[in-house]
Amino acid sequence: MREEQNQLSANNDINMVDLNQHPADSNPELSEGTDNVNKNDNSKGSRAPPPHPPPKQLDPSERYRKGITLGQGTYGTVYKAFDIVTNKTVAVKKIHLGNAKEGVNVTALREIKLLKELSHPNIIQLIDAYPHKQNLHIVFEFMESDLETVIKDRNIVLSPADIKSYMQMTLKGLAVCHKKWILHRDMKPNNLLIASDGQLKLGDFGLARLFGSPNRRFTHQVFALWYRAPELLFGSKNYGPVVDIWAAGCIFAELLLRRPFLQGTGDLDQIGKVFAAFGTPRQSQWPEVGTLPDFVEFQFVPAPPLRSLFPMASEDALDLLSKMFTLDPKNRISAQQALEHRYFSSVPAPTRPDLLPKPSRVDSANPSRPPQLASPGGPVVLSPSKARRVMLFPNNLAGILSKQVSQSASGGTPIEFDMPTHKLREVYPPRSRITESGKKHLKRKTMDMSAALDECAREQESESNLDPDPQHSAKKEKHT
Amino acid sequence: MAANFWTSSHCKELLDAEKVGIVHPLDKEHGLTQEDVKIIKIHMSNYIRTLSQSVKVRQRVVATAITYFRRVYTRKGFTEYDPQLVAPTCLYLASKAEESTVQAKLVIFYMKRYTKHRYEIKDMLEMEMKLLEALDYYLVIYHPYHPLIQLLQDANLAELKVTAWSLVNDTYRTDLILTYAPYMIALACIYFACIVMEKDAHTWFEELRVDMNEIKNISMEIVDYYDNYRSIPEEKINSALNKLPQRF
Ligand SMILES: Nc1ncnc2c1ncn2[C@@H]1O[C@H](COP(=O)(O)OP(=O)(O)O)[C@@H](O)[C@H]1O
Ligand SMILES: [Mg+2]
Repeated sequence: MREEQNQLSANNDINMVDLNQHPADSNPELSEGTDNVNKNDNSKGSRAPPPHPPPKQLDPSERYRKGITLGQGTYGTVYKAFDIVTNKTVAVKKIHLGNAKEGVNVTALREIKLLKELSHPNIIQLIDAYPHKQNLHIVFEFMESDLETVIKDRNIVLSPADIKSYMQMTLKGLAVCHKKWILHRDMKPNNLLIASDGQLKLGDFGLARLFGSPNRRFTHQVFALWYRAPELLFGSKNYGPVVDIWAAGCIFAELLLRRPFLQGTGDLDQIGKVFAAFGTPRQSQWPEVGTLPDFVEFQFVPAPPLRSLFPMASEDALDLLSKMFTLDPKNRISAQQALEHRYFSSVPAPTRPDLLPKPSRVDSANPSRPPQLASPGGPVVLSPSKARRVMLFPNNLAGILSKQVSQSASGGTPIEFDMPTHKLREVYPPRSRITESGKKHLKRKTMDMSAALDECAREQESESNLDPDPQHSAKKEKHT
Repeated sequence: MAANFWTSSHCKELLDAEKVGIVHPLDKEHGLTQEDVKIIKIHMSNYIRTLSQSVKVRQRVVATAITYFRRVYTRKGFTEYDPQLVAPTCLYLASKAEESTVQAKLVIFYMKRYTKHRYEIKDMLEMEMKLLEALDYYLVIYHPYHPLIQLLQDANLAELKVTAWSLVNDTYRTDLILTYAPYMIALACIYFACIVMEKDAHTWFEELRVDMNEIKNISMEIVDYYDNYRSIPEEKINSALNKLPQRF
């Protein structure tokens, strides 16, 4: 066999040519070639040994003194801890590997892999990772709060300058990800963490991945439903970074409205809500929409004026919003362009992060995030935060959650919003309706759906390794 | 877009060529020479490729796995971590990192078919953790394949694709991926392919204004592989491997 290995001709591999090459390998733009080479040369002479987390002498399990539990994540428990080397508070995510048949959880691996490439004030910092007693520990900077908590906090008044500040930080974080060819794919207020100095940081990269080559096929089952871009709702599998922009637009709207903007109860209801808000796209407006895998035709409804949905927003804010909510992904604004939008240069200037309002202090038992689920003051803004990884019945779950929302909404006392939300209902039809031909198509789709669910189940199985058939792996090129 | 690689961990982790070939002190104690180390690395790179053909993964997963393997042994000795376990574990880890997960038991299944080693899933999963540490959790690797295609397009040399692609494959039988930018490796392979196929691309190379010395150094490495290591006699491989502690 050794002989055989040595003789493996280089040509053997040729038919394995993978045109879906790594996005990030992409074009080293030739005009910049010289620059790059020089850069490399310069760094070569003075190349330092690979950077390690500073003092490795100290065993990490000694270094991070464990404190209280902060929360239970999808794939691990998060503890508060104290780093005795830097004297800083950190958050340690502990992932149990004990009897895992597939070793390190891919979600955890993804998060580590991508965060190791990212370092920016608006992206959560991965401080360290280490194994200890059958567990993998990931150390993050400690975050006081998150944007969901801020939005829900009835005692906080968000000024236009505050909102601008949050949006700027969000888009700065996104721009860095996109520059590095990383899609976040789980943008929502709950995943925008807030540090003690007021800096907002993108967190939770468990669904994120590298993108770039045009033919790469991804799963469209990403994002919490309310933050899903229309191309995802129609099943697009080769989407780009602007899916994150759509979600950021939803967050922008949520900051203005102080409640989630488009609260659909399922994929179709969600699209209906999108079209009700922005109008059913005309052919010229989004030519490719009909070619998307799960396209369903909706009855034409014109877009209500955006002003009517956001009565308190400035002209500049509305203009940026409309560009982030452009239905055709090809024409949607990029993170970098959004940062250059005049909204960010016009008055009022964004609030300095350290001057942003802070959520009211919480009881000491759970100092990071208050469980405000049953807060008396008004409707609960509950994003379907756990729905996204429960792939099997996402619609159901979203439905249940939205029911909770409306129940508590009718039960609570009215909230004092700065803006007339009741007006919203008038101008804002519940959702656009599906046409006759759309319905026929839908029937077919429903039949396909059970197949899709099966596939989903298989994917989950293979992730937890229940499939004993070694042949199965030929199919393992999962579109994630 | 070019800013990409230059800000990546892969770029920061690049090593000087002299440092990569060094024999780990623990390996020296066992009598391993620089030549032995080179042979073991080539042999195990080939092994990873063979395994990958059985478990059916993309080209890119193989390339990443071999890169992990070579990077691990710039920090660890062969006597410390058994390459017979590290190689399949690198493939397993790379399959996850590249989003096309292969089941652990499948890798073990083929490993048992190809070798006499009796490692079990548990051993591989334990090794996975050790490798993550040895790699300092840096998992994103850039490869020459994509730049190759784009450069060939730019140079209007599509007919070199097959040759240049094979050359890129063979660079993974060296430590080049640890020492040079993938884009430079791709250029060197084009340069080399031009010579083999008797194509004149001088003007194109001149216009690029890249460091031709670097291109030549890379080409020399590839030539060295073809001249001296393309088919290594089995005795040589065995003699190198036999210096490692026998685990089974
Ligand atoms: N960096 C952090 N600082 C403080 N608390 C955190 C941090 N990361 C996570 N947490 C807490 O742990 C909980 C679970 O986190 P995570 O694993 O990210 O959850 P999930 O993956 O389910 O979104 C969060 O809801 C939060 O309360
Ligand atoms: Mg989260």
